[in-house]
Amino acid sequence: MANQVWQLSNPIIGIIVVLITFVVFYVVAYLSNRASTSVQDLYATKGGVGPITNGLAMASTYMSLATFLGVTALILRLQVPFVMLWIQFILAIPLITIIYGTSLRRMGAFSPTHFIRLRYGKEASIIAALWMILVSIMYALGQMIGIAVTFETLLGIPYMTGLFVGGILIVGYVTIGGMSGATNNAAIQMVIMALMFIIPLGAIMKAMGGTGWFFPPLLYADMVPAMLDALPTFFDYKFPTKWYFALIPALTIGALGLPHLAMRVYTSSSLRSARSAMIWFALALGLVFSATYAMGFSGVFFEYTTGIPIAPADTDKLTIILNLAYNPEWVTALVIAGAISAGLSTLSGNLLAIGALISQDIVTTLKPDLSNKTKVRLGYLSIALGGLAAVLLAIQPPKFLIVSILWAFGLAGTTNASLIIMGVWWKKANRFGAMCASAIGGIVYVVVSPFVFPKIVVSGHALTDSMGLSGGMLAVPLSFLILIVVSYITNRMPSLMSQQAITETDSLVERIHGWSDINPKRYNSIVGPLIIASIGAIVFVWAMMPWAF
Amino acid sequence: MNAYKKEVWFTIIFTILFLFSGHLGLFFSIFPVEGNLLGFPIMYIVPILSGWFGVLFLVIVAGKIGNQIDDDIEKENQDNSKIRGEGVV
Repeated sequence: MANQVWQLSNPIIGIIVVLITFVVFYVVAYLSNRASTSVQDLYATKGGVGPITNGLAMASTYMSLATFLGVTALILRLQVPFVMLWIQFILAIPLITIIYGTSLRRMGAFSPTHFIRLRYGKEASIIAALWMILVSIMYALGQMIGIAVTFETLLGIPYMTGLFVGGILIVGYVTIGGMSGATNNAAIQMVIMALMFIIPLGAIMKAMGGTGWFFPPLLYADMVPAMLDALPTFFDYKFPTKWYFALIPALTIGALGLPHLAMRVYTSSSLRSARSAMIWFALALGLVFSATYAMGFSGVFFEYTTGIPIAPADTDKLTIILNLAYNPEWVTALVIAGAISAGLSTLSGNLLAIGALISQDIVTTLKPDLSNKTKVRLGYLSIALGGLAAVLLAIQPPKFLIVSILWAFGLAGTTNASLIIMGVWWKKANRFGAMCASAIGGIVYVVVSPFVFPKIVVSGHALTDSMGLSGGMLAVPLSFLILIVVSYITNRMPSLMSQQAITETDSLVERIHGWSDINPKRYNSIVGPLIIASIGAIVFVWAMMPWAF
Repeated sequence: MNAYKKEVWFTIIFTILFLFSGHLGLFFSIFPVEGNLLGFPIMYIVPILSGWFGVLFLVIVAGKIGNQIDDDIEKENQDNSKIRGEGVV
C-alpha cells in the first residue's frame, strides 16, 4: 500500500463541483467589481464592508491552503508541537488591530508600506516594498503548490499540469475580481471552507469509531486512548522551550508585517466596525483551526491504527486522503472545492498585495505623475506577473507546502513589522533606523535560511531552519535593535535631521492616534524603546547559542 | 489617568494577554503539568481552548476598551481646543 495513488476515480464529479465554485466566484467578483473604477477601489473597496463580512473575509484570507492541507501534513510529521505552533496564528488580526491597524486606518494608509512611505520617506518604503514582494511571492508559492496538489488529486493529472491549470484559473480570477470581488468572495469562501472541512471531518471521525462526530473540532477525546496505544508519543512536546519561544518573534510578530492581513483592517467601514470584525474573525478562525487539529489527529490515527503509511510525497494531501479513505467520492469533490476556495482567497489577497506594492508603493512613488488609468493597468499587470512568479517557483517545490509560507512570516517580521510598530509608537524612530533595520535584518534572515546558504543556519534542525523559526528568532529582534539604536544615534546628528521633518513626523504620529494637537510628552519615551532594545539584544544572543534538540 | 496613558497601557497589557493566551504551549514547555481535561491531556487541550475562547474573550473586551479610548481621546481633543479658545467641532 506504500505506493497507493490517491485520486478521485471519477474526476467528472470533481470537475463539475470545481466549475460551479469558480462560476459563483467569477459572478460575485464581476458584480462586486463593476463599481471599482479607481485604484483605491481595486485594493480597498472604499472602506465600506460590514463587520461580519469583513471578519469572515479576514479569517478566509488568513486560512489558506496551509490550513486546509499543510497543517494536517505537518501534524502528521511533528504531531503536537505543530499544533502549538499553529494556535498562535489566531493572534494576527487582534494584534494588528490593537497595535497599529486602527492607527493606520485613521491615517488613510491602505497598506503597511504606504504607512512606511508617509512615516519614513520614499527610500525606506521602497526597501520595505521590495522585501514585501518577496514575502508575498513566497506566501503565494505555498498556495500555488497546494492548488497544484489539489488539481493533481482531482483530475489524476501530473503535478506540473495541475500547477499550470490551477495557476492560470486563479490568476485570471484575481485579475478580474480586484479587492471588491475578493472581499465578498472571501466571506463566501470562509463559509464554504468551514462546511467543506468540518462536516466531512465528522463523517471521517464517525467512520473511525469516534462518538463526537457531531462537533469534530473538540469532541474526539474518546479516540485518545487508542491513539496513545498506537503512538504513545503523540502528545509529547518533543522540542525545547527555546523552540516554543521562537514562535513569538518568527510567527506572531511576523504576522504583524503581512500586508494582505493588515489590508483587511482597512476595508472596514469604521474603527468600531474593524473591532467588531475581530470578534467574527476569532470565532470563525478558532472553529476551523480546532477542526484542523482534529483532522491532523485523525490523520495520525489513520496512519498508525490502519498501518497504511502516507508516502512523503503525499503528506500535503492528507486531508483529501482521509476523505478518499472514509467518505463517498462526491464528498471528496466538495472538500477539493473547499481547498481550492482556501487557496483562491489567500492567493487573491497575496496577488493584490503584490499589485499594490509594485504599482502604488514602488512605481507611483518613483513616478507620481502617472495617470489613474495607467496605475490601474499597472496594478493588473503586477497581479498577473506576481501570479506567474509563484507558478514558476512552484515548479520545484519545497518538501512541504507550508514551509515557504512560514518562512515568509519571519521575513515580514524582520523587514516590516519593526518599522511599523516602532513608527506608530515612537516619534524618534527615523528613516535611517528604518532603512538599516529593514535592509540588514532582511539580509541576515535570508543568509541564515537554508535555501540560500545551506551551511549557514542557526539551529541545525532542518525543519526549524527552513520554516524560518530560528532565523526569525535571530533577525526579528536584531531588526528592532538596529532601528532603535540607529535612530537614537542619528537623531543626535543635526546635519542629518531637519527640524521640519521632525515636526512633520511628530504631527503624523499624533494624528494617527486620533490627537488634534502635538504634545511632546506623547509617544516620546526613551524607557520603552530601551526595554525593547534590551529584550531584542537578549533574544538575539539566545538565538545564537546552541539549540538542543 | 489621561487618554494617552490609557492608550499606551491598554496596548501593552492586551498585547501581553494576547501573547499569553495564544502561547500557552510555551508556558507548558516551562511548567509541564500532568492530568487530563475533557478526556485530553491538559497540555494539549488547554492551549487549544485558550487559543480560541480565550482570544475570543480578549477580542471582545479589547474592542470595547478600544472604542472607549477613542471616545476619551476625542473628548480630550475637544477640552484642549476649548482651553486654546478654538471652536469646538
